Amino acid sequence: MGKQYEIPLGAQHISLLEPLHFKFTTENEKIVDTTANIFYVHRGIEQACCSKFKFRQVSFVVGRVCGLCSISHSTAYSQVAEKLVKIEIPRRAKYLRMLVIELDRIHSHLLCLSHVAENSGFEALFMKTMQYREFSMELLEAVCGNRIQYDFSIVGGVARDLKPAVGQMILERLKKFKPQLDELVDIYENNWTLSLKNKGAGAITKEDAMRLNVVGPFARAAGLAIDVRNETEDLLPWKEVGFEMVLDTAGDVHARNMVRLHELYVSMRIIENIIARLPESALITETKAFPDGEAVVRIEAPRGELFYYAKGNKTQVLERLKIKAPTFSNVSAMVEAFKGNEYGSVPAIIASYDPCLSCTSR
Amino acid sequence: MKTFFKALGNLFRKPVTIKYPFEQTYIPDDYRGMIGFDENLCIWCRRCEMVCPPGAIVFSQDMDGKQTYHFNRAVCIYCSECVRACPKEGAIFQTAEPAKCALKEENINNGWNALFDEALKSRADYAAEKKRLAAEKAAVLKTDDEKK
Repeated sequence: MGKQYEIPLGAQHISLLEPLHFKFTTENEKIVDTTANIFYVHRGIEQACCSKFKFRQVSFVVGRVCGLCSISHSTAYSQVAEKLVKIEIPRRAKYLRMLVIELDRIHSHLLCLSHVAENSGFEALFMKTMQYREFSMELLEAVCGNRIQYDFSIVGGVARDLKPAVGQMILERLKKFKPQLDELVDIYENNWTLSLKNKGAGAITKEDAMRLNVVGPFARAAGLAIDVRNETEDLLPWKEVGFEMVLDTAGDVHARNMVRLHELYVSMRIIENIIARLPESALITETKAFPDGEAVVRIEAPRGELFYYAKGNKTQVLERLKIKAPTFSNVSAMVEAFKGNEYGSVPAIIASYDPCLSCTSR
Repeated sequence: MKTFFKALGNLFRKPVTIKYPFEQTYIPDDYRGMIGFDENLCIWCRRCEMVCPPGAIVFSQDMDGKQTYHFNRAVCIYCSECVRACPKEGAIFQTAEPAKCALKEENINNGWNALFDEALKSRADYAAEKKRLAAEKAAVLKTDDEKK
């Protein structure tokens, strides 16, 4: 047995996007133990939502929890608030919410993939992926009026309608993106340098994933069939628009890349179906009721299952709002998956987890 | 070999980036830009102020009852919640023009906080004054009644 060294990584580090701190115990180059500290960016959003803002304004506040999955947060909050005030939203609003969630998934997954490439030392692929990602940002801007903070879901429905011209634009851009995505899949799957770095790195078994409660692409790459879109039908009709589960078995960085890339095909199909079958109805259900009782909502954010709990007391201000972000569920598995890997492959592994710390510590 | 030819081909391709300050980036027609206000149409119900999530709109009131609209473009999140809440079409509206950056000279945070508090105080003062006048008037009426 060699001498053990402790190497800290973070909370500020060039390979980290987020303020995340790891402490690795290494033997030569092999990692034998890891501890993680994730609460560096606590902003007290839950407390603000329960004291400073009225319940209709909270959907804009929680949209600022995270820049990448803004729409997932505001949709989840809107749904939980709609349960509290006991209203059913129009069908068109449901479809438009799904449309923006899927567009958001495209841009979030491409961002994660690009960072895996960058942290694996493949800067050119990072640039290429970012270049291809631009179309999704522009589509989101055309649909929601802003590139990142969408403010699209509000309590009772959605804020804006989809113009037919914008729908046509989305279809055209998606058609243009398909060959680009094929190219990306080819590079991520077959590139020799990237495979050397990514295959077998950060692997986690299906049993471990099950035991450690992993969610999102992280779990699906390990062969665990977990997807909220597959489980809930009442709030957003995912199966109607052609949702399919993407699974892999290896559980390593390469498998996670593949799951994300193939999920983009599913997202594109869902968007095409939504635009083809967009029902005609109002956008908002108006109500003057105040939130009362307790409710729970789960939604599939790009990183996994997002959980919202809210409690109302018949006033304008909520009594309690609890957000559980997907990264929080994955932290224990993150720590586990480092074991036995080389220290040099750590940046790529961290990027492949797609950690979102501003969601986690709120 | 394939990669080599691709790299050679890329040498002759145009760059995908744009020269930003000289060339405008993509902005859709219904971009969420500056909030406009039409004083002539406003019915002074203050509903926009009530619904605004960050508190970027506030109305102050003079002693003669005239209200003034204040808007802070740096605090605003351009969610257009005020436009949806407005009962009078066109009194408050959203344009596609992106907001200008805030400057240090404008003292946009502290100055705005002071203005916000002042505006609320001016309204409270006006309400108190109105209440006092009403009470005085009632007292005068009461004494008149007693004299009769």
